[in-house]
Amino acid sequence: MPPRYLAAGLALAALAAPASARPVSYEGGWTLMQDNNGMYSSLHAHYSPTATDSIGLYVEQNQDMDQTFTGLQYNRLVRRWNAPDSQGNLYLKLGAGAVAPFGDGETEPGSFAGVAADWETRRVFVSYDVRARDFGADESLSHAARLGVAPYVAEFGELHTWAMVQVENHPEAEEPVTVTPLLRFFKGPLLVEAGYTLEEEEFLLNWTWRF
Amino acid sequence: MKLLKTLALAAAVSMTMPAALASPETSAMAEPAPGEILMAEVNGLVCDFCAQSIRKIVGRDEAVQKVHVDLSRGQVRVDLKPGRSLDDAALGKLIRKAGYSLVSVDRNAAK
Repeated sequence: MPPRYLAAGLALAALAAPASARPVSYEGGWTLMQDNNGMYSSLHAHYSPTATDSIGLYVEQNQDMDQTFTGLQYNRLVRRWNAPDSQGNLYLKLGAGAVAPFGDGETEPGSFAGVAADWETRRVFVSYDVRARDFGADESLSHAARLGVAPYVAEFGELHTWAMVQVENHPEAEEPVTVTPLLRFFKGPLLVEAGYTLEEEEFLLNWTWRF
Repeated sequence: MKLLKTLALAAAVSMTMPAALASPETSAMAEPAPGEILMAEVNGLVCDFCAQSIRKIVGRDEAVQKVHVDLSRGQVRVDLKPGRSLDDAALGKLIRKAGYSLVSVDRNAAK
């Protein structure tokens, strides 16, 4: 990937919807992704019929808005840059389903659209994710960016460790910008992330299992 | 008489012995030649998910016996089954299905 794209990615990281791992697998691959933080918990179970598409269930329970979104999510790998020592990806994410408030209340249709980009070597990781959502009472645009470094280089099957910082921007939130230092552990088909959001004093725990 | 009994016993034992134990020379001759080994240089290999994808997709091919991914070198070693072949185009297609880019294939590296 040309240096100007990396520079653009780093610039976007300064702005600060999280995406813990790549949303498209290999042809015929299944993936389970679960993200948990102080604001919401989500589960995305998807199947990749090709190496550039995946589709599956997406459920998000939003504690801030007291509502649950349940629907289908489609992910498209728009472009991948494979280089000898790095890989870059550009994804499109679309979702449609129903939004139900906690307890009694009317269920409404909901949808979202997002774009995500990442670039990584075996030592450095940069990502940016923007998502627009229409979840009934929650109509918003959010951004998330990450910068990570690997303190050592591990081989396939060994434990990979990353130290990362995630910056999120939710303009309508009480804390519009939050910073979450986190550790990513990666071994074979399992990826686990644990962090702490400083402004909200909440823990983050994400995991992804690919099979 | 004792000699005849001994010979008869020896003959009976040799007839019931499994073919694999009969003689090392026979066993070696029956063993098939090892399959071809391909060393592929692949772009985009940066993590375990990448390696897992390559192993799953390439390993599904009927000609493939074993796949080993070396992330540090960006190489994929493909051991073929004896008597089977996989041309560069077919290997490139498998690598693409996994989401990566085949740069070159060395068919003599392991010789």
